[in-house]
Amino acid sequence: MARILEHHAKQMFAQAGIPVPEGYPAISPDQAATIAEGMGGPVVIKALVPVGKRGEAGAVQFAEDSRGASLAARDLIGRYIGAYMIDTVLVEERIEIAAELYLSIIVDRDERKPRVVLSASGGVSIEQVAREDPGAMVTEPISMIRGLPEYRARELWVRAGMTGPVIPKLGQLTNRLWRLFVEHDLRLIEINPLFRTTTDDIVAGDAVMSVDDAASFRHPELARFVVPGTDRSWRPMTDLEIEAQRVHELDPYRGSARYLELEGGNIGFLCGGGGASLLLYDHLIEAGGQPANYAEIGGNPTEQKVAGMTRVVLSKPGVEGLFVAHNITNNTQTDVIARGVVTGIRHAGRDPSSLPVVAREAGLHDEEGRKTFEEAGIVYFGERTTLAEAARTMVDAMSSGGTR
Amino acid sequence: MSRLIDGSTRLLVQGITGREARMVTRHMLAYGTAVVSGVTPGRGGQDVEGVPVFDTFTQAVQETQPSASLVSVPPAATLDAVAEAIAAEIPLVVIATEGIPQHDVLRMLELSDEAGTVIIGPNSVGVIRPGDGVKIGAIGGENPERAFVPGRIGVISRSGGMTSEIGLTLRLAGYGVSTAISVGGDALIGSTPATLLAEFQNDLETDAVVLFGEPGTRFEEDVAHRIRNSEFTKPLVALVAGEFTEHLPEGTAFGHAAAIIEGDSGRPSAKRKALQEAGALVARTLDDVPGLLESTLTNTQRPN
Repeated sequence: MARILEHHAKQMFAQAGIPVPEGYPAISPDQAATIAEGMGGPVVIKALVPVGKRGEAGAVQFAEDSRGASLAARDLIGRYIGAYMIDTVLVEERIEIAAELYLSIIVDRDERKPRVVLSASGGVSIEQVAREDPGAMVTEPISMIRGLPEYRARELWVRAGMTGPVIPKLGQLTNRLWRLFVEHDLRLIEINPLFRTTTDDIVAGDAVMSVDDAASFRHPELARFVVPGTDRSWRPMTDLEIEAQRVHELDPYRGSARYLELEGGNIGFLCGGGGASLLLYDHLIEAGGQPANYAEIGGNPTEQKVAGMTRVVLSKPGVEGLFVAHNITNNTQTDVIARGVVTGIRHAGRDPSSLPVVAREAGLHDEEGRKTFEEAGIVYFGERTTLAEAARTMVDAMSSGGTR
Repeated sequence: MSRLIDGSTRLLVQGITGREARMVTRHMLAYGTAVVSGVTPGRGGQDVEGVPVFDTFTQAVQETQPSASLVSVPPAATLDAVAEAIAAEIPLVVIATEGIPQHDVLRMLELSDEAGTVIIGPNSVGVIRPGDGVKIGAIGGENPERAFVPGRIGVISRSGGMTSEIGLTLRLAGYGVSTAISVGGDALIGSTPATLLAEFQNDLETDAVVLFGEPGTRFEEDVAHRIRNSEFTKPLVALVAGEFTEHLPEGTAFGHAAAIIEGDSGRPSAKRKALQEAGALVARTLDDVPGLLESTLTNTQRPN
């Protein structure tokens, strides 16, 4: 679910025939002033960060002239919104607004169809509309095969209470938004607020887009727009996360490797697969352990990938132990995991026989895996030890300070 | 709904000439699955492990009469492969492929809903029925009997690996598996755990079901709903992993619009509560599962 910043999204809107306010990005107060000067009227200054609810965070400001634009940009640039520092602002002409509407297309996973959501009252969060004025919101699942033609979009807007000359404009804009959604394999596209101007034009006041990482191979046009790491949206990627991604991409087609750095903790967590790692993490917490990260390796990764991930996990300051556990594997070779883990521990400059390490690896080639772990001085468990027991053993190993 | 798979299942493998698919085909044949044909456009006339390969699904249907398909093709080609299987009116399609573009999944689910095709997956490690010696997919690898022995417990899991770990837990406790289904790790899947309960409700060889759940989606809530409505009346033991994710900062601030549709239903703690209130037995660890089964099954249903 990587995101696209507002000015890029609006560029795509404009190309698709969806009206947007005139606007340009600025990286300094002077540049913001110059842009405002050129527009010759009141402007809006918006922080370009991949974070929602910017209005509430004070990241959208209004100015009457170039001096005001400069002051607003000075206030915003360098500030943090959530975990993201503002380095660029968008300076836009201010629109004469008669009403603020809402329009989005999302994927409704229960219905298993895209869903269009629209409302005659926008500007505020759509959750608030749903809570306070549910009648104002109109929503319908859309067939991927039949799409969202203009006539259906017009019907929906009329149901939302819209009347008059904006109806055909809304129908056309909604159909164009649908086509953008399909053409770029988007997971979400949202305009909030969608302006009805005093001259009955319809203009997109904001533009939120998130793309499907799984479809990136057929969308080279999006590559330069996507903000990396925004699929985990609360903060930018850390150095270790970037390193883990690099390790994975050295051989992207063999096995999965995900690393998420967490605050504090002392247990390096390197487990799999997708479900078992969630369970194992729960078990560590229940046993009183403190994982320093969440990392998942699976799908029969290469030895190099396992070694690289092990090194990344152990590189975080404060990590004083390593938990390596999987469900009994279907086709993942546990001997390859064992060799990768031992190599990775050494690459991290640690001694596998003194670092507290607990390995629970059952399945394909686990006899060879056991030998590799045990020859390196690592505590090994096989299928007779349950996932919960392995987690408790790990926590015990930490509290005994690695002296086993 | 009849059984998903049994001894009469005749399997076609789409993408059979791929590296992974060749290995899986070898393992399936060794286990006893009747793999009758494969399809790889451009490779018609070849064979993989003795299984004839065809250029098109239509040719394979005429020559070999498959009753199920395993899709093991790259993500970019999966929509076309699934559409081909649906057009050939194959009743069961198991999709192993992971990382398919979401819009393609939406398209294939819309096609399968219209045609009445049963889809398992995407991102499914497969389905196994040990009593009939048949499996579709990589499930159990080359030694399925390490995790899956014949028995009377059904398994539904959102995790492929945990499908096998549950099988192992059951085996070590003296139980066995009737059918185990990896539904796939994605949010958009063809057959959800709730829809698959019917399979086990009607299966005379299943006494109880073990369910493995994860954060996100409404799958576990839907299972609870079916139990409450008495659409599923056999004992169900559930394990929902990932409670720790509730204590991490919320993942996506863009989910505004989606949050309206989904509400607060993704939390493991809420899923456990819903299941418990519906009458399911909720385990904290896999270690609890055999004891919970024992507490609910009759003497004749327990292992010796």
